[in-house]
Amino acid sequence: MRTLLMMGMFIALLPALPLPDEPPDQGAEPTNVNARLIVEKVQISGHGSSKLSDPLKTEIGQVAGQKFDQSLLEKLADRIKQELHAPEVRMHVVKSGTPDHVIVNFEIGAEREKRFDLDLSRFLYHSKQGWSGQGHATVHVDGNAFSFGMVSDGDRLNERYAGIQAAFERKNIGTDRLQLRFDFASFHEQWNQATLFAAAPDDIYRTRMHFSPMATVLLMEPLEWSFGVDFARYRLTAPVAKTESSNAVVTTLRYHQRWGSAKDKGEHDLRASYSLRSGTHFLESDPVFARHQADARYRFRRGHQDLSIGFLAGTISGRAPLFERFVLGNAETLRGWNKFDVDPLGASHVAHGSIDYVYRGFLVFYDTGAVWDRPEEREQKQSLGVGCRKSGFQLAVAFPVKTGSANPVFYAGMNF
Amino acid sequence: MRGRTIKPWWLIAAFLSGLAFAMAAEELILSTQDSRLEFTAPRVHFLVGKPLERLRNASEVPFDFKITLWSGTRSHLYREIPARFVVSYDLWEEKFSVTRLLPSRRTARHLTDAAAEAWCLQQMATDVSGIGPTEPLWARLEIRAQDGKDPGLPFGRGNITDSGISLTSLIEIFSRPAATAQPHWQVETGPITLEELRRGRRRG
Repeated sequence: MRTLLMMGMFIALLPALPLPDEPPDQGAEPTNVNARLIVEKVQISGHGSSKLSDPLKTEIGQVAGQKFDQSLLEKLADRIKQELHAPEVRMHVVKSGTPDHVIVNFEIGAEREKRFDLDLSRFLYHSKQGWSGQGHATVHVDGNAFSFGMVSDGDRLNERYAGIQAAFERKNIGTDRLQLRFDFASFHEQWNQATLFAAAPDDIYRTRMHFSPMATVLLMEPLEWSFGVDFARYRLTAPVAKTESSNAVVTTLRYHQRWGSAKDKGEHDLRASYSLRSGTHFLESDPVFARHQADARYRFRRGHQDLSIGFLAGTISGRAPLFERFVLGNAETLRGWNKFDVDPLGASHVAHGSIDYVYRGFLVFYDTGAVWDRPEEREQKQSLGVGCRKSGFQLAVAFPVKTGSANPVFYAGMNF
Repeated sequence: MRGRTIKPWWLIAAFLSGLAFAMAAEELILSTQDSRLEFTAPRVHFLVGKPLERLRNASEVPFDFKITLWSGTRSHLYREIPARFVVSYDLWEEKFSVTRLLPSRRTARHLTDAAAEAWCLQQMATDVSGIGPTEPLWARLEIRAQDGKDPGLPFGRGNITDSGISLTSLIEIFSRPAATAQPHWQVETGPITLEELRRGRRRG
C-alpha cells in the first residue's frame, strides 16, 4: 500500500517538477517586415473557444504588447487546435486603430458533424480471457446522436457478457453546458468455472438488461458532473429462476485538464473522476449497496516520450451484484495476472496504481494493486510488462511478480 | 460558280492572334550585361492568389526559384541556379519586403508587388562567360511558393530563415514535382545565342 501512496503523491507533484527546456531558437534577423509591429490584442473566436485551458489562455494573453512573432503565433494556433481537437484554427491579422499595431484573431473552425459514423471502440485478444470486441454505428440528426452497437467482453468483469447496446445522446439541451444521454443494453453472460465454484447460486445470472438515463452538466471548466439512474434487471440461473432488479442512483464528478504542448515543453493531461452508484430500496432495488470509485490518470508527452501514471481506488458497502464488483488482473489492471486467480468473484475494495512509459512506441509498464473483501485478505500484487503501443494499438507481454513459475500473459488490441 | 475570297477581318484576326501568341510565348526574356545573363518575366506574377492572401495576413511566404541553363544542345545542362526568397507585406505601409536567403543574404524593402517580383528575378542573374557567343542557349525559370509547413522540406516548420538550408536542398526540392495545391510557375525560352542577345534581339 505504501507503493500506492507514493504513486499518488508522485501524480500530485509531477506537474510541478521542473523540466528541461529546448534550446531557444537562434534565428537570424527577421525576414518578416511585420516583426516590427506590436500586437495590440489577441482575440479567440469560434466553436469551443470558452473551453481553452487557463494556462493556454494566459499564454495567449501574454502575446499582447509584444512584437508580432509569426512562428510563436503559429505555435499557439497549433496548441489551440490540439487542445480543442479542432479541425482548423485560422489566424487573422489586421491593423488596429493605433499606428504600427495589429490585432490577432484566432478563429476556431467548427467540426463538421458526421452524418454516419462506424466505430470499433474496443478490440482485444488476451491470452487468458480470449477475444473481446465492441463496436457501434452512430447516426447524427440535428444535434441528436443515435447509436447501436454490439459487444462481447471477457476482459473487464469476471463474467463474459455479450449482447447489444443502443444509445441516444443530445449534447446541447438549450445550452452547451447540459447534455442528455439514454443507454440501453442487453447481455447474455458466460461464467468461468472458478467463478461458478466460488459463487453462491443466487449470485450467478444468465442475462442482464440495463436502461440508464443520464444528464451531464458542465459545472465550470474543467469540471463536469453527471447524474442519473441505472435500472438493471438480471435473470438468475438458480433452479427456481427469478428476475432481480438492481436500480442505482448514479453520480459522477469528472475533472479533465490539459496544458502544454507535446511539440515543445511537453503536454500534461490530468483526468480524475469520482463516481457513486447507490442501489436503493427507494428505486425498488433488490440489492442495496453503495459503490464509490475514484480514479486518476496523469499523462505527460514530449516528443517521442509518453509517461502515464494511473490510480484507482474503490469500495462497496452492502451487497452488490457481481457486475458491480471490482476486478483486477485484466488488460488494464494488474496486467500479467489472471483475474480469476486474483479473485474469481471480484471484490468490494480495490486499490491499484500503474506506470506506463512509451518511447518511440516501445512500452514498459508496472502495475500494482490489491482487491479484498475483508482487510485480512488484502494482498498487494505486482506485475511488469513490455510491448509496443502506437496510435491506439497495443501489443504486450506481462509477467506477474511472484515466486514460483513465471506465467506470462500476452495481449494485443486496439482502444483499450 | 462564285470564287471564294478571304475576308479582310479574317486576315486581321489571324495577325492579331499570331501577335498575341508571340507575346504570350515571350514570357522569359533574356538580356546580357557584359558577361552576365539577366532574366525578366513581365508576364509571370507570383504575388497572387493564396500566397498573396497569406502575405496580406502578415505572414511571410518563402518562394523557391531555379534557373536552368542548357548550352550547345538541349541535353547539355550548363548550370542550375537555385535561390530562396522570403517575401512579406507590411500591413501598415502596404509595401512588400523581400529577403534573398541564398546564395547570400540581401534585402529590399518598400516595394510594390511588380517591383518585388522584378527584384527577385534581378537577383537570379548569372555569369555566362563559359558559353560561346554562337552557342545555342536554352533557359527555364521555375518558381514555387512554400507554405513552410511541409515536413518534407529541409527547412522545417516555423523559422524559414534557418541557416540549415543549402543550394543542394533547393535543387532537391525542384527535382520533385510540385504538389497539386502548391502554387508554381514555369517559363522557358530558347534556343538563342549570346551574340543574338548582344545584338539586341530578344526572343521568347
